[in-house]
Amino acid sequence: MASSIHSGPGFDFSNEIRNNFMAEKGLPLPKATSTGTTIVGCLFKDGIVLGADTRATEGPIVADKNCEKIHYITESIRCCGAGTAADTEFTTALISSNMELHALSTGRKPRVVTAMTMLKQMLFRYQGHIGAALVLGGVDATGPHLFTIHPHGSTDKLPYVTMGSGSLAAMAVFESAWRPDMDRESALTLVKSAISAGIFNDLGSGSNVDACIITASSTEMLRNVEMPNERVQKERDYKFRRGTTAWAKESVRDLVVSETVQWVGGEAMDTT
Amino acid sequence: MSIMEYNGGSVVAMVGKDCVAIASDLRLGNQALGISSNFQKIFPVTDRIYLGLPGLATDVTTLRERFRFRVNMYTIKEEREIEPETFAHLVSSTLYEHRFGPYFIEPVIAGISKTPSGGVKPFIAATDLIGCLNFAKDFVVAGTASSKLFGVAEGLWEPDLEPEDLFETISQTLLNAVDRDAYSGWGGIVHVITKDKVVTRTLKGRMD
Amino acid sequence: MNSFAERFSTTTAASHMRNAQKLAEEDDEFDGTMWGSSAGFGSIAKGVPSFTVPAVADPTAFLRLHTDDHADPSCRIKIQHGTTTLAFRFQGGVIVAVDSRATAGSYIASGTVKKVIEINPYLLGTMAGGAADCQYWETYLGMHCRLHELRNRERISVSAASKYLSNLVYSYKGMGLSMGTMICGWDKTGPAVFYVDSDGTRLKGDLFSVGSGSTFAYGVLDQGYRWDLTDEEAQELGRRSIYAAGHRDAFSGNSCNLYHVKEDGWKFIGNYDISKLHYDGPGNVPGSDGRPYGYDIRVEGLSSTNAPEVAAAA
Repeated sequence: MASSIHSGPGFDFSNEIRNNFMAEKGLPLPKATSTGTTIVGCLFKDGIVLGADTRATEGPIVADKNCEKIHYITESIRCCGAGTAADTEFTTALISSNMELHALSTGRKPRVVTAMTMLKQMLFRYQGHIGAALVLGGVDATGPHLFTIHPHGSTDKLPYVTMGSGSLAAMAVFESAWRPDMDRESALTLVKSAISAGIFNDLGSGSNVDACIITASSTEMLRNVEMPNERVQKERDYKFRRGTTAWAKESVRDLVVSETVQWVGGEAMDTT
Repeated sequence: MSIMEYNGGSVVAMVGKDCVAIASDLRLGNQALGISSNFQKIFPVTDRIYLGLPGLATDVTTLRERFRFRVNMYTIKEEREIEPETFAHLVSSTLYEHRFGPYFIEPVIAGISKTPSGGVKPFIAATDLIGCLNFAKDFVVAGTASSKLFGVAEGLWEPDLEPEDLFETISQTLLNAVDRDAYSGWGGIVHVITKDKVVTRTLKGRMD
Repeated sequence: MNSFAERFSTTTAASHMRNAQKLAEEDDEFDGTMWGSSAGFGSIAKGVPSFTVPAVADPTAFLRLHTDDHADPSCRIKIQHGTTTLAFRFQGGVIVAVDSRATAGSYIASGTVKKVIEINPYLLGTMAGGAADCQYWETYLGMHCRLHELRNRERISVSAASKYLSNLVYSYKGMGLSMGTMICGWDKTGPAVFYVDSDGTRLKGDLFSVGSGSTFAYGVLDQGYRWDLTDEEAQELGRRSIYAAGHRDAFSGNSCNLYHVKEDGWKFIGNYDISKLHYDGPGNVPGSDGRPYGYDIRVEGLSSTNAPEVAAAA
């Protein structure tokens, strides 16, 4: 256990040998949660709108019906993640932390390109083994910026971007309806319909629409702006009569420690 | 045959009204051969947090000790009990540390946290084997019978169940799901956690 | 079971098919009109059914591609693998006992499968391996047993019936048939049990168990088996053996079907829920002391881990 007291930073490869041995014996690795995902971002007159669906999958199973895919980087920079869910979660958290430290040491508001560079350098270092496909957007001193970052570390800077399994459906919407210098309302509407295209036409994406509007003056996180797949109220329920389940043994652990108050001294304190 | 199916086993957790429940089967197998019908997969972390560890049995034991160690260190350093939300992140980061050589465990966390106003808030969460957190408002499942548990729980769960009703719902969910899974079963155990007590019951499940 | 196919993958299915057809033609001294309808048994005009094979270069490899779940767990056609079946011969006839679970991967597809195939009132066949293969060919065997009766004015011997089946599956060897079966019955020679599998193996014996849970069943069976078992003792032994397999083996269980073959044909003894046997025992049936089979329940208060309550309190 000494190793866990003085464990260094970074990944721990101590299970590698054992796991490779098992893989050689023909036991396949289980599937990690992935976000089949539709994520988008687009530029408008005053800034950036980011959008994401909220489905997380494990193979054919929907593991989470309402997860959050728009991650916090700084107050005015956000990042949408697709791919291996744990990787997008931890990569963005790490970069967010480093951006905060960077801001503290430079005394300036951090820039979007800084976050982009940190992300691409990290992903390139791991040669695609960290399966994070990201859409990074934000507004800084140099204006609004929108990037896509691929798992191997390549980046693009474009006025409108889509990623994930639903990227084709979403891009079709952008290609037909995106215009330069759109206003805030029409940009949000466009992002909502791009995500909806992913939700309805791509099996890997689903549930609700999340959006985030970033301008020079404010950042507005719109969690579940649209919920087109809400479950209808059940007409009746399946409540079981108490005593349905046969059990063999019961033990109760009481968490309330019994308390007695013992008065010391003759009289109660005068509180008048 | 995947590594998860080597020893078998399943866990489910559900939210109720000011209470949570976590349940598991009791089978330990060596592929098709049943070895033990008394193998614990759910462990108390604090008085009000329970942790379910379905997956490869060797990692169940390793991770249980690892978490016990890290929770003890937390308690000593912070001089307070760990909150369920904090513990979920501890589990998540412990697993992600092993991103490229993972433990074959899909943890399920169930607990009750205290709100600043003095009330209680039920909490459940699950992660995949590399630590991707899933905070659910209704129920979480894991293990070899997870696909079956998803189906049954989706049908039986409803909001605001009282502890006694939650016990019936989670027990029936577990029992009926594992009856359709070859690698889970051989009895079950349920913990219902409320503000001031934890009720643990051993279920009479099918033994085949 | 896929190893059967592997061993013969070099030869093409077409040549096997020709051999099968030739074999059929040789012992063919009657034609289709002799028994009217071919009633869903393919083209049996030549005595042996012929199947349409996929129009690909190597149909055997094609079939294996879609059924070999060891190599590819996501293959389309899952063949039932797990099972426990047993049959044994004793002074009072033959006991046939089977479980009732069907699995597809780890999924328990059914808990109410009939794994004893009633070929005719004097013959039983058991089912392990491919459910469809066993059902089809043992029903087909039933037809030929009846034809034998009509031609020869006497019932077919168990030996002859099992040999008919074994020759038949041998003609399809290497083409993916998967069955491990016991043909049980009573003929002029008395009680008889034959083991026949899709390799072409045919064995005469007193006691067999087939399937993933067979080792567990053998454990109980060997320990309790004697030739001079009474009917009741023998039935209890069959039940107890299937319980042991159903309990320990993940791919066997749900319930036990018990048959007893005597001189006047087979009789269905009963269906017993494995979990009920564990907690409550078989109930009031001959041969049983009515006590539960489950270890934990049997030893309640007798072992150090679950000491008697009085002792625990002291």
